[in-house]
Amino acid sequence: MDLGISALNYVSSIKNGEFTVEEFTSKSLERISQVDEKLHAFLRVNDLAIKNAREIDTKIKSNQNVGKCYGMPISVKDNMCIEGSKTTCASKVLENFIAPYTSTVISKLNSEDAIIIGKTNMDEFAMGLSTEYSAYGPSRNPWNIDYVPGGSSGGSGVSVSANECIASLGSDTGGSIRNPASFCSVVGLKPTYGLVSRYGLVSYANSIEQIGPMTKTVEDSAFLLNIISGIDSNDNTTIDNKNQDYLRDIDIGVSGKKIGIVTEMTNSEGLSAEVANATNDAVKTFEKLGANCEHVSLQMVPYTVAAYYTITSTEAGSNLARYDNIRYGYEFDSSGFEFNSYISQARSKFGPEVIRRMILGGFVPSAGHAGKYFLKALKVKSKLIAEINHVFEKFDFLISPTVPIQPFKFGEKIQDPVSFMMIDFNTVTANLTGIPAISVPYKITNGLPIGIQIMANHLEEHSLLQTAYALEKTVDLPEVPV
Amino acid sequence: MTKIGLEIHCQLTKLESKLFCPCKADYREFEPNTNICPVCMGIPGSLPLLNKNAVEKATLIAMALDCKTPNKIAFFRKNYFYPDLPKNFQITQLNAYGNTSIGWEGKISVENKEIKIRRIQLEEDPGRLIYEGVTEKTKLTLVDYNRAGTPLVEIVTEPDFETPHQVREFLNILSDLLENLNVSDPGLEGAMRADANVSIEGGSKVEIKNIGSFHDLEKAVHFEITRQQSLAERKIEIIQETRHWDDGRKITVSARTKEEEAEYRYHLEADIPWVRIDDNTKNQLQLHMPESISSKKERYVSKYGITSQVADILSSDRYFSELFEKANNETNAKDIANMITTDIMGLLDTREKREMSKLEGDHISDLVEYIKSNKITRASAKLALDEVIKNGKQLSEIIEDLDLGHVSDEATLSDIITEVLDEEVKAVEDAKQNPDIVNFLVGKVMQKTHGKADPELTLTLLKKNLGL
Amino acid sequence: MKSLVTEEEISNVAKLMKIDLEDHTAHIKRVQKMLEYFDILDNANVESEEITVQETDLDKLRDDKHNPYDKNLLKFLKSYQGKYVKAPKLN
Repeated sequence: MDLGISALNYVSSIKNGEFTVEEFTSKSLERISQVDEKLHAFLRVNDLAIKNAREIDTKIKSNQNVGKCYGMPISVKDNMCIEGSKTTCASKVLENFIAPYTSTVISKLNSEDAIIIGKTNMDEFAMGLSTEYSAYGPSRNPWNIDYVPGGSSGGSGVSVSANECIASLGSDTGGSIRNPASFCSVVGLKPTYGLVSRYGLVSYANSIEQIGPMTKTVEDSAFLLNIISGIDSNDNTTIDNKNQDYLRDIDIGVSGKKIGIVTEMTNSEGLSAEVANATNDAVKTFEKLGANCEHVSLQMVPYTVAAYYTITSTEAGSNLARYDNIRYGYEFDSSGFEFNSYISQARSKFGPEVIRRMILGGFVPSAGHAGKYFLKALKVKSKLIAEINHVFEKFDFLISPTVPIQPFKFGEKIQDPVSFMMIDFNTVTANLTGIPAISVPYKITNGLPIGIQIMANHLEEHSLLQTAYALEKTVDLPEVPV
Repeated sequence: MTKIGLEIHCQLTKLESKLFCPCKADYREFEPNTNICPVCMGIPGSLPLLNKNAVEKATLIAMALDCKTPNKIAFFRKNYFYPDLPKNFQITQLNAYGNTSIGWEGKISVENKEIKIRRIQLEEDPGRLIYEGVTEKTKLTLVDYNRAGTPLVEIVTEPDFETPHQVREFLNILSDLLENLNVSDPGLEGAMRADANVSIEGGSKVEIKNIGSFHDLEKAVHFEITRQQSLAERKIEIIQETRHWDDGRKITVSARTKEEEAEYRYHLEADIPWVRIDDNTKNQLQLHMPESISSKKERYVSKYGITSQVADILSSDRYFSELFEKANNETNAKDIANMITTDIMGLLDTREKREMSKLEGDHISDLVEYIKSNKITRASAKLALDEVIKNGKQLSEIIEDLDLGHVSDEATLSDIITEVLDEEVKAVEDAKQNPDIVNFLVGKVMQKTHGKADPELTLTLLKKNLGL
Repeated sequence: MKSLVTEEEISNVAKLMKIDLEDHTAHIKRVQKMLEYFDILDNANVESEEITVQETDLDKLRDDKHNPYDKNLLKFLKSYQGKYVKAPKLN
């Protein structure tokens, strides 16, 4: 029983009776207990997992209808609500918060008989790029535990990469799925804004974030997207994808496709030598596959990081205002306190990065400064969208390295705020414009992963996954060392 | 010249559900914190779901107030911290990117003065803080979130009012208008609240908040004008500020705290897409808008010959104008209108009474017919009304049950008259001196017949008997 | 062009956002650096742009129906007294 198996192969194996759901779940739990003390991908493991596995095995044996997932163990980032279970967003401020309802995406997985095996670690409230900002300690990169796994969905990336589970759901606001996917050498997809319901996702920057799958293969990504996507009456920002089947014709190839290499994202000054190398390699690979590759400029890209942080800190400042520890939160008795004084103290339990974003979020939209910062950022976003629309008239896809650098050591980048923000340089464009983007594991250099990012136009996940699949098929990567 | 402006908050109590979730819009019957859900409680991960009918009803209000309406509406967040605000922001409207609130630049006539409406916006009500039993020593605040998320329409006027009386008149007109549109029941406690702003000639604008009722509003405005005038007379500067109405002492006091220079960091509510409202929708709404009060009044006067005064009373009350329409047949319109305004309104003077009432339009038209054809006296009619309201039975049944039939045959009446004359010896004597006393004797006959005696015939017979 | 965002301004914003700033200087310096970086937006030349928004139609909105929440939400909340939610005293 190979824990490194893909989701689709897992399903065939179960159907063929090669092993039972309980056996696989049990082995996964064993794996978690073996490696997770070191890797810390999980904040909580589901102690009902075996019970759920047995129930699904019973269904299979008695020839009842079984959901598409056939009991595969899936982990979920700890910012998605599951009824009756803790949802902490890796913050002390939600240490005791037990969600009273279940996110739409998880309900969908449950009705397809997935087993939610645990909640994964993340940067606190999804603010960060390395999972170093979790209030419960960082997660470690299974390729080299002295290095960060990326973030903010770091725990999710690690859990899939280290074969602790088959797949994971992460969330992506500025690269938070794609970045850890690249750093951990797994596939990470940020869908078109509105394709996947956010009902149950604890909001950080609600105008641009999306839930997405983190998987071992591109096909698995399509498989999960089929399950979690679709219009939801509990989320007014969801759009109709007309029941697309993202697995259909996934192997069609890229012959004749026009691929744009985004100049601003592949500028050798901004990339590490290893990443620049890998990128050039990927371009050659696409050309060998029959695609036409050409450089294309997106002039707004140099402004996207500033625009992103301005917009997200404004929205975060508002979305996190509800955490005043009065209706839910953590243990801190309010008796004897005055209201303002109590909540100010309670909220000082936010971690340092969250606090900084709160301050930024109070500043940039405020009356004296909104014109200079917030409104300008919105206009940059608008102009970028126009640029992207224009570019997609000529090109089918855009590519870049997912992250300009390889995984770095703990504490290495966290000191300088500006170079820290720059790690998002290639990924925020997709969030600001709402277009879908995927990170495909491409290379391992010096023992550390490099991923290639592919972007497509709105609602073009189907063709995006075909292109990702084509690239993935050319790659033969070593197994994770842990 | 004194300038007064108003900011009115009106709950859309006629909606079934809250503005952003399916909890009940009218929270009044619920035990505390039982009309809540993850959305209105702002539980992490929850998202607002805009109520279609709320948008329609708010648009109706905008149209009824002659406002311009947008092709797209947008929602914004007003961010501040308070225990009654589950998300620590309120979802409201603003005209930051063009005109995107539900209506703007409208007008309404009050005592021949045109009051301009600056804007109308749709927003959510916060929860309620409980103040009963709270003292100096109380160490906490108690909160009931049942009201959080209730749909509100905020109506902001230009400072066009000149007197407190105009303000009061406007509020009455507005209440009637909202009730007539079937969007709100302004009589429900807390359904309509208002703040005012006041400035006298050459003085700064002062806001007055925390006003409990419309009655208090008139008082508060009056007090504030007086306060400002007195300051001006003594050449003391009127500070631009927010003041609270102190109902105990009947004065306004400075509220020089968090109200000043509040920073709300307004930004778009990204969880609610901008809603397109096309001309077709607006036309449909206009078409199905309930007839306006002034139009009804005009119709009552010109078509049915009802007096202006009666038409006024009838048209401005939705419940009774509906009753009138149902009862109405062309010939008896005036009598029906009179019966409603004279007798029925007094009998059904509370919401509870109206809700329990079994009185229908047919009952009224029957009653008027009966009176006209002398089958029943006016006095008996009142008894009949009481009964109908209680059990809704057919009029003919009630008249039989209660034996209310008109006593108009001479023989029966004569016997009763003889009885009365025998009993009221002194009155009979007095009557011979003072003819007015005959009315007293008529009253006695009415008593004995339980109001059924034909008053005219009784008078005639009595006079005859007494030789007057 | 460096924008001079003062420590005092940042301190005031922390109060606005209801967060007690313990380690003032470290946070404040980092925020200043980030805001300086945001000055880059001045070079974007976007003055004439309109903002872009998501739109929907009136008929896609939720129908006005009362659908009571089927669980006792109060017991999920952390601090209540009888039927009311407890909050600290207001001034």
